[in-house]
Amino acid sequence: MTDPLTRAATSAPRRARRRATPVAGAALALLIAVAGCTGADGTGSAATDTATPVAVTVTGPLCDVLPAGDEPGNPTSLAGQPADQALQWIPVLTTFEAAVRATGLATELNGTEGVTILAPTDDAFAAKFSRTNLDELLLHDTDELRGLLRDHVVTGSLPVAELAAAGTVTTLAGTSLTVTGGDGGARVADRADTVCADYRTANARIHVINQVLGSLPTTAGDEGDDHHS
Amino acid sequence: MFSTLLAAVLAATAMPAQAFGQTATVAQMQAEPNQVQDVTVVQGDGYATLAWTHVDGATDYQIERTPIAEDGTATGAAVIVGVWRPNRQINNDKPTFADAGFAPGNRFQWRVRARLGTTAQPYSAPVSGATKAHWGDLNTPGQNLRTQWEDTLGAQYTSDVNEYAYTAAIDQLSERVRVVEIGRTINNRPINMFVIGYPTPPATPEAVAATNPLLVNCNVHGNEPGDREACFIMARQLAFTDDAATLDRLSKTTMLIVPTINGDGRAANSRGNSTGQDLNRDYSLIRQPETQAFVEMVRDYRPIASYDGHEYGNTNTGDLPMLSPRHQNVAQGIFDESQNMIEGHMYTQGAKDGWWACPYGCTGASVGLGEETILRNTLGLKNTVNSLLELRSSGGPTRPDEGNTANNRRRKTYSALWTFTQFFAYHSANASNITTARAEAIKFQSANTGRIVFRGSRPIPAHPAPHPGDTPPPLDAPGQDQILNQPPCAYKLTEAQYNGARTDGPAGRQTTVAQRLAAHGWKVIKVADGYLVPLSQPERGLVPLLLDGQAAEGLVDGERIAPTLTGTHNGPLTVSGVACLAGATVRGPIRVKPGATLIVNGSSINGPVDASGAAGFVLTDSTVHGPVNATGVRGPVVLVGNKTNGPVNVVNNTGDAPLVAGNTVNGPLSCTGNTNAPVNIEVANTVSGPKSSQCARL
Ligand SMILES: [Zn+2]
Repeated sequence: MTDPLTRAATSAPRRARRRATPVAGAALALLIAVAGCTGADGTGSAATDTATPVAVTVTGPLCDVLPAGDEPGNPTSLAGQPADQALQWIPVLTTFEAAVRATGLATELNGTEGVTILAPTDDAFAAKFSRTNLDELLLHDTDELRGLLRDHVVTGSLPVAELAAAGTVTTLAGTSLTVTGGDGGARVADRADTVCADYRTANARIHVINQVLGSLPTTAGDEGDDHHS
Repeated sequence: MFSTLLAAVLAATAMPAQAFGQTATVAQMQAEPNQVQDVTVVQGDGYATLAWTHVDGATDYQIERTPIAEDGTATGAAVIVGVWRPNRQINNDKPTFADAGFAPGNRFQWRVRARLGTTAQPYSAPVSGATKAHWGDLNTPGQNLRTQWEDTLGAQYTSDVNEYAYTAAIDQLSERVRVVEIGRTINNRPINMFVIGYPTPPATPEAVAATNPLLVNCNVHGNEPGDREACFIMARQLAFTDDAATLDRLSKTTMLIVPTINGDGRAANSRGNSTGQDLNRDYSLIRQPETQAFVEMVRDYRPIASYDGHEYGNTNTGDLPMLSPRHQNVAQGIFDESQNMIEGHMYTQGAKDGWWACPYGCTGASVGLGEETILRNTLGLKNTVNSLLELRSSGGPTRPDEGNTANNRRRKTYSALWTFTQFFAYHSANASNITTARAEAIKFQSANTGRIVFRGSRPIPAHPAPHPGDTPPPLDAPGQDQILNQPPCAYKLTEAQYNGARTDGPAGRQTTVAQRLAAHGWKVIKVADGYLVPLSQPERGLVPLLLDGQAAEGLVDGERIAPTLTGTHNGPLTVSGVACLAGATVRGPIRVKPGATLIVNGSSINGPVDASGAAGFVLTDSTVHGPVNATGVRGPVVLVGNKTNGPVNVVNNTGDAPLVAGNTVNGPLSCTGNTNAPVNIEVANTVSGPKSSQCARL
């Protein structure tokens, strides 16, 4: 809450006055496309500065539709990033990523011990929570949301093969998850399958899964949630 | 919009297309049965329009795209990226499809094939070409700016921090752009608006309003960010394009772009603002600082046309569900012109460029109703021609390659960019129709005639199948208990109702009814025992929706004040207290005592009307044979849509700017000494005599 407040206040364009605050050179430089490039180098400095030369291979049926090769957000480019930053590059994790920010979970994710993040897709969140419920979690019930997220984080940075071999793992929330293997992925708590596993970050593994874990009630499809526009 | 540029690109891309065209001619001679012929590809910003000759009996068509290298060799797999169905467009005999979702600048080869039932027919000859790169020359300052979303090819949305830097850079580098902060969110994020004109935007809101501006509200629901990215790109295009047609348009009007009204919700990826309030259920009630800022901006800048950007989840709808302001209190002409914008312009242009516009709720979903809290309806009730815009969230069966999130995001944003660009073209081509509809609407509303509907919509007529909109949104007719056949003359609020503290709205930020009515720009008359809000003013259709006890989502339960005279009065009439004439005939002079209030709607007065020293004076839709004197009035002066035989004097009034609009004055119009110069809000008066001093431009 306070962070965006300060940030917004300091970087806001001035009120109705022109040219009072020149754009900082560095900020402007980031905005300007580099000649001779069609924009495909947008993987960002954070990724390229610290990227390991080792190519990261991710596995699972969803990987085919996620950034690959030299596209922005490709798995190799994320390898050196803090986990919370890496999450911002995986386009099917916008809900999970927003939840991490809403709950301030980054500190725990980026800890030195390393963690395994079982990150449900946006589709999984949409299948679990009504839009109203999700707003409540993101905006008001952040303690509850934090508890839910901690049900998706396991201590130790485990490749999916090790995760599957473990049989049972314990989450940061203290809950116990059964894990079974198969098809190069893992099935967690008898309901969630890894759909793109083995993203590597500075000290975490991210396995994208297709179901929300934890014990919160399902609210998707509730009456009255059909208020669009 | 960028027709010169487009023509240049066409010329460039026509070369390979022609080369393939020759091949296609050869192929045509040996054409297989039901093989699609004459495929053309035209590059747009972030999309490519395919067109071909209709195959008799085709049920649908599949569009295949293959990435290729400079030398034409394939660099990836061929993928079916599109399915054309007959309900996409209004002229089925000339099928088109806007292929989108690819990374801008890459080269592709396209083929099209018909299907008869489920049986695929032979593919057309291939056509290849380079798609357009991100808009703007990389060596031209300003043009070379890119958003975070563009730089990451859609992997990331533009953050708040990146937005402010990009916005400030455009502001700094373009004389055409002024960025105005119209307010702040609850968490103190700026709500910025691009004000864009050529060579420079008009200096004040009043001066902008005089150019009949158009408005895009890009992103109210924080978890629907696709339109916002289109707005950033469009702002850069308008700021730095050399296209003569665009500059010509910008020299005649002003484009207003509000990229992020809900910055807190965008940052949180929530639908609502930081309190969880859905801001698109708050534009009439304006409990939140975000919506209040927006409504005050509309009051001051007076856009005549608008689009409101969203995304929508139903996979079976069109690419671009749209919907007009259906609330039945919206003036007919505003509804009709909004429908014309959607069906007349967008359906027609969509059929040319391959985008599929259709009415929101295209599949009969129970959405798109009459809530006046929704911007679409609120703006209609403010006499603004406008539409909702949804970007279909998922690719659905007609865009099968959008399991890839980046593809999906790019298609959505570039379809929004197409829509907003077309919106500008529509506005320029139809400005006189829009301003006429608006002027008639303001006169109609100010006349306070006809029933009030608290909630309920006009029907959206179906297009004949299989064209877009064969399944329109629900009828949503008002029930009997939602109709008030005899409108009151005004609502009276008590001191407590008007100025009392309220509990709705975010803690510490609650506003009074007085502040909210002021934000809407409504006329309020201070009377002895409270505050009078006349219905006879430009936003009449919205007044009861906030102030009547029967309202579905009202603000306060105001007292209905009925007309005091509806028949004929012979002889002089002296007004003390509050008099309201509705459909009355007065044969004699009317004299308003100092401190009294006179409201006259749809009446005929044979004799002078003298409101010197009144608390408030409202005269609309009436005929006066004799002079009209609004002199020294302390509160509102409203003269709209009257015919007067005799001089009209608006002199020494001390309240808000007198509203003198849409009158026919057979005589002089004299305005001097008013604390605030009278305005006509761009609804001209016809005056046979001289227009003096403060009224010279009315
Ligand atoms: Zn929406």
